[in-house]
Amino acid sequence: MIVKTKKILIDSKLECASGEALESFELMTDFYGELNEKKDNAVLVCHAFSGSHHAAGKRGDSVGWWDEFIGPDKTIDTNRFFVVSVNNLGSCFGSSGPLSEDKNGEKFNNDFPQLEIIDWVESQKMLADKLGIEKWHLVIGGSLGGMQSLQWAVSYPKMVKKVGILAAAAKTSSQNIALNEVEREIIRKDEDYHDGKYLDFNKSPVKGLKAARMLGHITYLSAKNMDQRFGRKLQNTASKVAEGVNFEIENYLQYKGGKFAELFDANSYILLTKVMDKFDIAHGYDDSLETALESVSAEMLVVSFTSDWMFPPQNGKEICLASIKANKKCSYVELEGEYGHDSFLYPNKGYQNAIKNFIESK
Amino acid sequence: MKSNFKRIIEKWIPQNTKLLDLGCGDGDLLGHLKNSKNVNGYGIEIDISKANECLKRNIPVIQCDIDEGIKEFNDLDFDITIMANSIQCLKNPNVALKNILNISNKCIVTLPNFAHWSCRLDLFLGKMPVTKNLPVPWYETKNIHLCTIKDFEELCNKLDLLIVEKLYLNNNFKESILTKLLPNLFAAEGVYLIERK
Repeated sequence: MIVKTKKILIDSKLECASGEALESFELMTDFYGELNEKKDNAVLVCHAFSGSHHAAGKRGDSVGWWDEFIGPDKTIDTNRFFVVSVNNLGSCFGSSGPLSEDKNGEKFNNDFPQLEIIDWVESQKMLADKLGIEKWHLVIGGSLGGMQSLQWAVSYPKMVKKVGILAAAAKTSSQNIALNEVEREIIRKDEDYHDGKYLDFNKSPVKGLKAARMLGHITYLSAKNMDQRFGRKLQNTASKVAEGVNFEIENYLQYKGGKFAELFDANSYILLTKVMDKFDIAHGYDDSLETALESVSAEMLVVSFTSDWMFPPQNGKEICLASIKANKKCSYVELEGEYGHDSFLYPNKGYQNAIKNFIESK
Repeated sequence: MKSNFKRIIEKWIPQNTKLLDLGCGDGDLLGHLKNSKNVNGYGIEIDISKANECLKRNIPVIQCDIDEGIKEFNDLDFDITIMANSIQCLKNPNVALKNILNISNKCIVTLPNFAHWSCRLDLFLGKMPVTKNLPVPWYETKNIHLCTIKDFEELCNKLDLLIVEKLYLNNNFKESILTKLLPNLFAAEGVYLIERK
């Protein structure tokens, strides 16, 4: 498989939904496979909240977040398809975001424009233009990535043939927003946060970021999965990563949270949770999902997982039913998924076949 | 599904209609109706591997359990629904039948007749029927609510549903003098077009 990673400069102005603008921006992008002559085999893979452009293949210790789905003869077969995976704007893995410098050469910190899903789609559209891709064969993603694919279908109906919406919703719920606000508050209360200007003090609110992620992580798992995996097992003393840890689940969250805080940026965390909160595809369409979907011409596949309590199946089914009402071609698959919200990341035969059949059907 | 059976169902389906096939299996019938009648067709299927076959054929499918409720399909402007040999697999066929006619005004139901002479013969010999259109042995079958033509027509009557059209077919999915004369004995399959009264 041909793999390329590039930081691509988009030297045009991005007018954000908030009214703010970016004069130019960079997108860290992975490419897997080859664009064919007709340029009709391009697939855009959109990552979730804490993901990155690194969707497939191994780089050092790190394996792409959808490695089992992208590659030669895999679910998205790179012998046939040219996969583009972009690190979202505002994130912290190489694309422009709070860690980047503004036009005066100063770090953005928390002054990076507050983005919305539609801005991500706009930035990806500008990338597609630059790559000469007029129509994606498929735009697909899970969670926040699923919201991006839905937004693509609504915003640029002529530019997408198929859309895959996995473990996502047409809008975030009050509970989603509530949990995000608690996570943000935990970060803001860290003494190293400095009102969001911590980069100027050479600091990072890692303690707050770690705790916020620990809470977030619980929402990505299911109660059943946690019981099966950890139950009430006690942590053995030798591998304790923190003081006062009794149970395995505590140690696991401490470890995962700590790792995450080393890699992620707190301002990005706050910005991205706000992107999620803002999302409501029916906003501006009299709050009618069916009206919002009227422009869609792509074929859609919606997948939900019964163990997902972040965006439960009803959220996915709602998208499908509104699409049917609007006479759109939409399918819905509901799987148990062992891993709660995160199930969309894990290989499963029925799940992968659904995606593969959907992508390859004519 | 046998091609002559598909042609029989097709006759009752107008061009360009919006249609829901409940228990659509691998999407064979929907694929046929897409070609012959240009229907805007959707299927409901509980089995993921069959739903995946629909996706392979590019037939829109909703993977869900009809027994869990189909009320959410009520306001989606379907013109017609089909239940082709799936009613006998449901936990509550009577409830489903009533609810289906809230989804669309018309419904086509087809069902295997458990009073067909071959079933009667098997039972007479002390065996659960294994016939041409009921080929699966009792311990593996998904048919949990088999009925006869007589039973089904009585249920329609009880639920105040109108049988607009009906066909009694033999094992080759054809009408014959015998199936017309004594349907409950000679018809292997009943095909109905039902409406609310």
